[in-house]
Amino acid sequence: MNNIIETKQLTRRYGRLEAVHDLSLAVPAGSVFALLGPNGAGKTTTIKLLMNLLVPTAGEARVLGVDSRRLGEAQRAQIGYVSENQQLPLWMTVRQLLDYCRPFYPTWDRELERRLLAQFELPEDRKLKNLSRGMLMKAALLSSLAYRPKLLVLDEPFSGLDPLVRDEFVRGILEVSEHGEWTVFVSSHDIEDVERLCDWVAVIDVGRLQFTEPTESLLGRFRRMEVTLPDNGGKLDAPPNWLELARAGNLVRFIETRYERETTERACRERFPNGAIMAHPMTLREIFITLARAGRKTQKGVIA
Amino acid sequence: MLPFSIELKAGLPVAEQILFAVKKAVIAGQLRPGEKFPSVRVLSQELRINPNTAHKVVAALVTEGVLITTPAVGSIVAEPVAGGRRERAELLGADLERVVVEARNLGLLLEEVQAGLAAHWRKLGGK
Repeated sequence: MNNIIETKQLTRRYGRLEAVHDLSLAVPAGSVFALLGPNGAGKTTTIKLLMNLLVPTAGEARVLGVDSRRLGEAQRAQIGYVSENQQLPLWMTVRQLLDYCRPFYPTWDRELERRLLAQFELPEDRKLKNLSRGMLMKAALLSSLAYRPKLLVLDEPFSGLDPLVRDEFVRGILEVSEHGEWTVFVSSHDIEDVERLCDWVAVIDVGRLQFTEPTESLLGRFRRMEVTLPDNGGKLDAPPNWLELARAGNLVRFIETRYERETTERACRERFPNGAIMAHPMTLREIFITLARAGRKTQKGVIA
Repeated sequence: MLPFSIELKAGLPVAEQILFAVKKAVIAGQLRPGEKFPSVRVLSQELRINPNTAHKVVAALVTEGVLITTPAVGSIVAEPVAGGRRERAELLGADLERVVVEARNLGLLLEEVQAGLAAHWRKLGGK
């Protein structure tokens, strides 16, 4: 099984509202996969479909090789799921929560549990209802990490967490990482939360997939280009892989979406023979903003 | 704590930044031959980065001869390689070109760039 999660034309309607439309995704085993999109884009619905908390209207999802509608105990024991809207037994103390969860998971690791308890500084005797939001999320994460799940599914885990708690949270997730056999599927509305963590991204908007690609390939093919011209010559015609071409005085700027040093420089020289060419790497956030702007203009959404 | 200093900047590939920081630490003597290098997990946890990225960094450092993997201990810092000078100089080509382009864009003279280069050289303890 190369893909831990696979969806085909996954669709979910609530009455006349289509929350997820025709979504086809592949999450490779061993990846940290980020599902990104603004609030209301369909991220939570997608995750609920994957976790069999909702049934698809059309299409299908396979998780750990099994149709999501048939997820059973055997699969659940290998999946860790933490959601910002999770229902937790608030009358329990942290200790009671862990005692309650432990028997469900044959792979529960007491030593890891102990280490994470200390690392998260969770008060064992306090009731969940008396925990702060950050503490509560850490308790939920702890109860999902202690059995070393093969697949960790996190629905907006960072929203509303202060920077310190977020940092502890990320560290906790990495505590159970095992190279090649550990997959994380995380949704977020903010790329900066997951930028250094994920190696695959998918962006959805209004229930539709905008694009999905390894982060390394995105970072590799996008460059903010600057050409400084010695004079006012040159012509401003852009090939389709150049976006936002603009000129101010002797400076020409554009965004190259298919950067390859030689080809890009050749294309520049054809238009601006004596210009000094500079290529600046872009952050994932800048790339997403560029793609969102371009998508709005063409309505096709995908710059591929 | 990591045995080399690094502050990850947005926009640049994380792996390249770490590779650079490690090599710099070796040249500057923060990391000495024979010393233990952090494991993939420690690297990923300390820097809060993807474990696959951390794995790639360690693999690249081994390939480039900066680290050696030993079965019992993990990775240790290697003795500096005494490879061909010209080959090693060629490794710098792309970086030098970038410096030249930047310098020209800023309208600097060759002597000014050389002086800046020499200052950095001395700062890292070079002669």
